[in-house]
Amino acid sequence: MVAPVHIRIATLLGALASSGLAAERVRDAGAPGVEAGLAIRCAKALVVSADLLALDDARLLVRDGRIESVGRAAELPVPAGYEELDLGSAWVMPGLVDLHSHVAGSFDINGAVYQTNTGLRVKTSVVPGNARLERGLAGGVTTILFIPGSATAMGGEGVLLKTAGRVFEEMLVRDPGSLKLAQADNPKGWGWGMGRLTINWQIRDTLRRGLAYAKRWAAFEAGSEAEPALDPQWEVFRALLARRAQVSAHTQAYQVVAMTVRQVVAEAGLPLYIDHGTFDGFLAAEYAESLDVPAILGPRSMSSQNKGRGIDHDGRFLGVAAEYQRRGHSRIGFNTDAPIVPQEELALQSAMGVRYGFDDSEGGTILGLTLRPAQAAGIDDRVGSLERGKDADLVVLGGHPSDPRHAVELVFVEGRLVYDASQGRIW
Amino acid sequence: MTSAPAVLLLALAPALVAGHGDDAGVALKARKVLTCSWDGPQVVDDAVVLLRDGKIEKVGRAAEVGIPSSYAVIDYGDRWLAPGMVELHCHEAGASLYSFVNDLNDTVYLANPGMRASAAVEPGNHSMNMAVAGGVTTVLYIPGSGSNIGGQGVLLKTAFDTYAKKLVRDPGSLKVAQWGNPESWGPGVGMAFENWNTRNTFKRGIEYAKAWKRHADGAGPEPPRDVQFDVWRDLYAEQIAVSTHTQMYQVVLMTITMIRGELKMPVFLDHSTIGGWLTGALAKEMGVPAIVGPRSADTVSRGMINWQRNRHEGFRGVAAGYQERGHDMIGFNTDSPVIPQEELSLNAAMGARYGMTDEHMQIVRGLTIVPARTAKIDHRVGSLEAGKDADILVVTGHPADPRTSVEAVWVNGESVYDAERDGRRW
Repeated sequence: MVAPVHIRIATLLGALASSGLAAERVRDAGAPGVEAGLAIRCAKALVVSADLLALDDARLLVRDGRIESVGRAAELPVPAGYEELDLGSAWVMPGLVDLHSHVAGSFDINGAVYQTNTGLRVKTSVVPGNARLERGLAGGVTTILFIPGSATAMGGEGVLLKTAGRVFEEMLVRDPGSLKLAQADNPKGWGWGMGRLTINWQIRDTLRRGLAYAKRWAAFEAGSEAEPALDPQWEVFRALLARRAQVSAHTQAYQVVAMTVRQVVAEAGLPLYIDHGTFDGFLAAEYAESLDVPAILGPRSMSSQNKGRGIDHDGRFLGVAAEYQRRGHSRIGFNTDAPIVPQEELALQSAMGVRYGFDDSEGGTILGLTLRPAQAAGIDDRVGSLERGKDADLVVLGGHPSDPRHAVELVFVEGRLVYDASQGRIW
Repeated sequence: MTSAPAVLLLALAPALVAGHGDDAGVALKARKVLTCSWDGPQVVDDAVVLLRDGKIEKVGRAAEVGIPSSYAVIDYGDRWLAPGMVELHCHEAGASLYSFVNDLNDTVYLANPGMRASAAVEPGNHSMNMAVAGGVTTVLYIPGSGSNIGGQGVLLKTAFDTYAKKLVRDPGSLKVAQWGNPESWGPGVGMAFENWNTRNTFKRGIEYAKAWKRHADGAGPEPPRDVQFDVWRDLYAEQIAVSTHTQMYQVVLMTITMIRGELKMPVFLDHSTIGGWLTGALAKEMGVPAIVGPRSADTVSRGMINWQRNRHEGFRGVAAGYQERGHDMIGFNTDSPVIPQEELSLNAAMGARYGMTDEHMQIVRGLTIVPARTAKIDHRVGSLEAGKDADILVVTGHPADPRTSVEAVWVNGESVYDAERDGRRW
């Protein structure tokens, strides 16, 4: 049996903290605007780049909030002026990315005025440093897509945030983060007559009108048309048309997922990812894959018989991630729908994926917690892997992140130490 | 991932209501067997387990154990075999604490030692089916904590559709609840009164048991039967133990010093969270096992609930707290339905996450042999050894790792769950 290593790490850092100066040097050495740099050595770095999953006995150089270099410790010397942090047998990985979260602020996120509310912005309800975000950070989650609820077919604009940060500007990764779309189930509660058919029509109608608006602006910017009147209800479509944001779709049962892909990608030509991919949505996996639509899966890890919804697996119980994978889907990530599953339990979602048959032999869980969601949201230039130039969002833990027996010991966001379990573990 | 062994099982399993009576035995082959024996070897690689008449006949290396030709052989390939898990704090083997008809908290008196949880058992309910799928094969089904002494728990197998077949032992325990819940019984009931009430009831029960012992030894007249106190005859003879819902340092300390020290009854801590680990060294010295859960960790709260009474110790692993103080009889519980019964092993994973070391297989032992020995049923369950009940899990890896799936479960030598055959439940 493998003995967890985190006690030793905690001791190391405890010792570090006891000499306040040393702790302070490591705490901010890699932060933006700080002269020094930070050199971290670890037993394993989960690099998660296109061609390299992990590197043993690695060193990371961090400077000015960014990753400067990653390599084998033996081949990457520590530059002068860098503070050194030797993590012994611990692992370092990129901060986890959750594309379905409702906990970055107050739960004032369901402004269900119309059946589609494309102009509503969830960023108005952000509360930096709230307790749920802090626990998310302690679970290694450093980036989230904070999105409106699913009370309507289009809840509004999501916003991509770091979980650390004292003020909104420090947290902000991208605004708008997404246009949140919800199909079937929840939006039905909006009122009488809101069934799958109406929701489908509403989405098509709204997409066409929004797209027409964005195209008029594109034509104006290309100099071929007069300046259109500004309409805040449709502004988000300019970001979608320019592929600076995506549609994040709460979509789950087979036909609903198939219709989401068809309407948003095949018909409207907009970028989309499945977000909250549960139930038997995997039956549309090949179709989604053929149109490059990522599948971010959760909070349910498995699909079971549900005759009332027309879900029939011959009495069987099927793993959602496993079934997407089995159908050749190559862009699988995991989400919590926090607070449905607590923000800090994102990694556990991937464990449940494996429990229910997801093949992890090529690092699918690690990818699905980091690079895959970063790519889906188009922020892989900043987060999702340990590569030169990316934000130094680092999670230090005792072993494989999907195994909850290994706890998160340290979290750095943009080079700054923002969570240190030895100073009070919270997850 | 899923592979040949499962297919093989599918072909064979229907024939295997195994090894009873005149039927031939069954041989299970696997890459690794976690025996969890109390003091023998803990792991056997490339192993075979022989089952016959509902019991384990032999465990050993495949190269060294001869398989009789009449035995059906199931080769589980690279899977592991582990003992069925044992849960000592369950409220779901029948009427649930969360059901509308709450039949587990008959708080007639403040102490109700005559009440039996066995009266509320419902074989084959959903929770027990999920328990089987989660690898939990034995539970102590106990009354709730609505009163100071809720009554007698009953030890049951989670499988099977009749009470007779499920029964391991009745009474399974005497359930005591010290502080935390019984206050709601009525005004004036607090830590001090509950302490007095426990002492008073136990003293009377022990006197009753002693009178029966004198009578059995021919040294006294036959005492009048009192069903309220009968359970002390089993306690006094150390046939069963007191299972105590106890938490917080001083309350746990009182459990140890009062029930074990002063009253000399066999007792185990069953819940034992919220600072209870501060008693770890004493609990170890006094021979009081610590079955911990459903909380895996103590947190500091400055709100209305100030568990730690302003001690600035931060967030502490409960199991690790006992272990760091030298305790070596640490098990896990769910308090199901507080934590669903099938998630027992996840409690152990959280124990590891929060600092409990696993270098001597303490985590798996805390799910198997430790609770079995604690409840005094280790002659039947808790490890894979010759002569014990054939309660066996077929798993894809370490039982406390939630990535591991439970693919098949054998109880009393019967194949009671097979994910491939029956459909995956957990």
